[in-house]
Amino acid sequence: MKRVGVFVCHCGSNIAAVVDCERVAKEAAKFPGVAFSIDNKYMCSDPGQDLIKKAVEEHHLDRIVVASCTPRMHEPVFRRATENAGINPYLFAMTNIREHVSWIHTDREKATEKAIDLVRMAVAKVLHTVPLEKSSIPITKRALVIGGGIAGMQAALDIADNGNPVVLVEREPTIGGKMPMLDKTFPSLDCSACICTPKMASTDQHPNITIYTHSEVERVDGYIGNFQVTIRQKAKYVDHKICTGCGLCETKCPNKKIPNSFEAGMGNRTAIYKAFPQAVPNKPIIDAANCRKLTKDKCGVCAKVCPTGAIKYDDQDELITIDVGAIVMATGYDLFPWKEAYGEYGYGKYPDVITGLQFERLVNASGPTSGHILRPSDGKEPKTIVFIKCVGSRDDVKGKAYCSRTCCMYTAKHAHQAVDKIEDSHVIVFYMDVRTAGKGYEEFYQRTVEDGVHYVRGRVSKIYQLGDKLIVRGEDTLLGEAVQVNADLVVLATAMVPSAGSGEIAHIVGFSTDKDGFYQEAHPKLRPLETFTAGVFLAGACQGPKDIPDTAAQGSGAAAKASAVLSNRSMETDPLISQVNDAVCAGCGVCVGICPYRAIELKEITQRAGGKTIARRVASINSGLCQGCGACVAACRSGALDLKGFTNQQIMAEVDALCL
Amino acid sequence: MSDPSGEMRELAKKLLENGEVDRIIGWEKGNLWYQSPPLFITRAEETDRLVFDDFAINSLVTYLLDERDSGKKTGIFVKGCDSRGLVRILQDKQIARESVYVIGLPCSGKKDPRQALSSGASESSQVPPAAKCEECLYPNPVIYDVIIGEAVEAKAKGDRFAAVKEIEAKTADEKYAYWTSQYSKCLRCLACRNVCPACNCRECAFDISKPRILAKENNLSHNMVYHLTRAFHAAGRCVECGECERVCPMGIPIMQLNKKIIKEINDLFGPYEAGVKLDETPPPLGTYQTSDPEEFM
Repeated sequence: MKRVGVFVCHCGSNIAAVVDCERVAKEAAKFPGVAFSIDNKYMCSDPGQDLIKKAVEEHHLDRIVVASCTPRMHEPVFRRATENAGINPYLFAMTNIREHVSWIHTDREKATEKAIDLVRMAVAKVLHTVPLEKSSIPITKRALVIGGGIAGMQAALDIADNGNPVVLVEREPTIGGKMPMLDKTFPSLDCSACICTPKMASTDQHPNITIYTHSEVERVDGYIGNFQVTIRQKAKYVDHKICTGCGLCETKCPNKKIPNSFEAGMGNRTAIYKAFPQAVPNKPIIDAANCRKLTKDKCGVCAKVCPTGAIKYDDQDELITIDVGAIVMATGYDLFPWKEAYGEYGYGKYPDVITGLQFERLVNASGPTSGHILRPSDGKEPKTIVFIKCVGSRDDVKGKAYCSRTCCMYTAKHAHQAVDKIEDSHVIVFYMDVRTAGKGYEEFYQRTVEDGVHYVRGRVSKIYQLGDKLIVRGEDTLLGEAVQVNADLVVLATAMVPSAGSGEIAHIVGFSTDKDGFYQEAHPKLRPLETFTAGVFLAGACQGPKDIPDTAAQGSGAAAKASAVLSNRSMETDPLISQVNDAVCAGCGVCVGICPYRAIELKEITQRAGGKTIARRVASINSGLCQGCGACVAACRSGALDLKGFTNQQIMAEVDALCL
Repeated sequence: MSDPSGEMRELAKKLLENGEVDRIIGWEKGNLWYQSPPLFITRAEETDRLVFDDFAINSLVTYLLDERDSGKKTGIFVKGCDSRGLVRILQDKQIARESVYVIGLPCSGKKDPRQALSSGASESSQVPPAAKCEECLYPNPVIYDVIIGEAVEAKAKGDRFAAVKEIEAKTADEKYAYWTSQYSKCLRCLACRNVCPACNCRECAFDISKPRILAKENNLSHNMVYHLTRAFHAAGRCVECGECERVCPMGIPIMQLNKKIIKEINDLFGPYEAGVKLDETPPPLGTYQTSDPEEFM
């Protein structure tokens, strides 16, 4: 005879305000199999958990039902309480009478009846549970970090400092990401490169970190603790083992007019190049698409001048396979492609309408103008500069609905720099709101206003060229007046969007993105650095727009998460996964294609059929990969697949309890 | 169309004599003029019984499932519609392609024995074409090792979803009344399941006792569970051979629901026809993609 204990939680007044918990407990006592039933103010508290233990002892219970909040909140707590009471933690069912009842209903009578029904179903379900045991899988003590920007470097350094080897993969020829492009960082105005480049050097020199630049992750198989990663090391055409990084090749390369993406298109580079002088590794690669030797088999100057013979025109892509236990995603951001969306700002046809990142290069001492703010069209110093905020952000018609978070502050910084560097300058910022949530941010903004920067609340409706001026038309919504500024330079605060190709890499690694393409965290508060794929963690702007302090913090956070995985020799796996009934499985393989986690493959079995032994193929679940989502169970026509803890029989019992 | 029976017999004889196949599945003339039931032969001297006349309407491909563990090779005759059922069974990995020698027969339409009986006709020419053949889009086999006879042109393509539009025009109450009146007729003889090439599991979910999803008593509620579950199990996999509806002794419009689901899949995932290409990329409901539509979320 099974003996079920039912515990109904008030959740303070969260549930009890709408649901008559006492009545629910009384009704539950009448359900078949229920030996004990009680309500309690806070089941998750220590006294609440003790209640389970005491009741098990006194009433010899062998199964537990808790009616409280969502299982995503406290299921682990009550499983542990069940285990502490001496019962297998999977002889437990939780039903949600908070999110599913009290928070969404107001009629006390009907809500109570619904809660009773939910408990009835949970009791029916728990009667069909069987004890389940956790299994364990070994862990490869190595981490992969995808993306070598500030988030990726921070994560790699912290994991490496924890004593575990790290492989850092960066698709650009240098690590560093976007931070080395910046001039100064808000709110302290310290030099960006002075923070970033030492970090790049530390990453490069750390004995536990292996860096693959100009490389991409091509394939990821396996599961937490046991990922197999294939990295494509793209051809560099320069043997970095021999190259000393002297730079002679760069000075002699005849193809010098290639727009440098590191300069945000404001400066040029050669076909054999380092992105910038402090690049890590500090050795050049050949841009095959623009190299005369590789495209037309002419030139070959770099090979002639190279003192060590490091140039390899026949270099090929190389595939590298490594095993890792955890993955940190740090793929960063790109800027919203405003030229495609904003016709009123000229679709990019006016050279003096630039982005904030381009302004960073103009104001940067190592940039194309050596830090003098000179406008791109004629190289003159602009006197009147207009900054426009929220370009592509907070604009669900042309851009993205979200706030890009960093633009208020970097625009304040740009405005300050413009006032600081240009005598008699006139700086106007068009804004929707000024958002300065961060330590020292509001103070910085106030200082910028005190510097004499003129903030105008309103959007700009049109920009057009008239002579050498850009006519900026907008509205001051606080005064209710039309505004026109004859500007020399316009800087757009374009929104952050997920970096190009970030969706593909998410698909390769096997986790989901949100509606804007940013990586989806498992829970915004409870699991902000985790994905729904175990062992894959998030850091930085790939998860959503972020400034540098937040990005660095997340890098360290993701590293802590990854290090926790790597700190054990083996890990326990959740037993709530799919199982196959070999006798029923027809081996059709529909589950193989449908599994989002690639956890199912067909294996050969032998069995007796029709008086002889036959070999045939049936589905087989990889317990490390299976996340227990149940997609295969729904797809399996014969019912050969079943989800432990949510078996077809348990669900049928729940339905019967409600409907019969 | 010229009678291919001679060529069929010759080929079958050769295949059995030189041991290329262990058995042949085809049709023979039955005791009644309006019936051509399936024929199973293993000896070359029996091949003269093979026919391919107006009443060779049965799809033979599900008989392959009976021998899936035997390790024997079967020679089988298939019409266009049958060949799509064969693709279904092959894609579902129930038999190996090497275990079957496929003899294709282009078909300009067959006749339904039940219609022959009910129309009071006394010979084939008086019987109208079978209902399922009127909507045929694939008169020529889509898979075969050898083909006998000339390719047939598909009939004028009507509206593949005409029957679906009929039910879509109904209100929710009318739909409920319509389907309950249909399903209350069901005897649960399971003929529609047994003849369906998509119903090729080793053990059918309806036959499993624990958990039992279908009670043994015959009532409307369980008939509906049966029909809706069957339709969902065939979703994205139904090859539109129409055998289910043809064999139903109670005249339940089974294909109407199948086609409704096919139309939904076409609307959600783009044009798709099951059982046409053997080596197709995974079908819409047989794969996971992050870009899958999820309007209900």
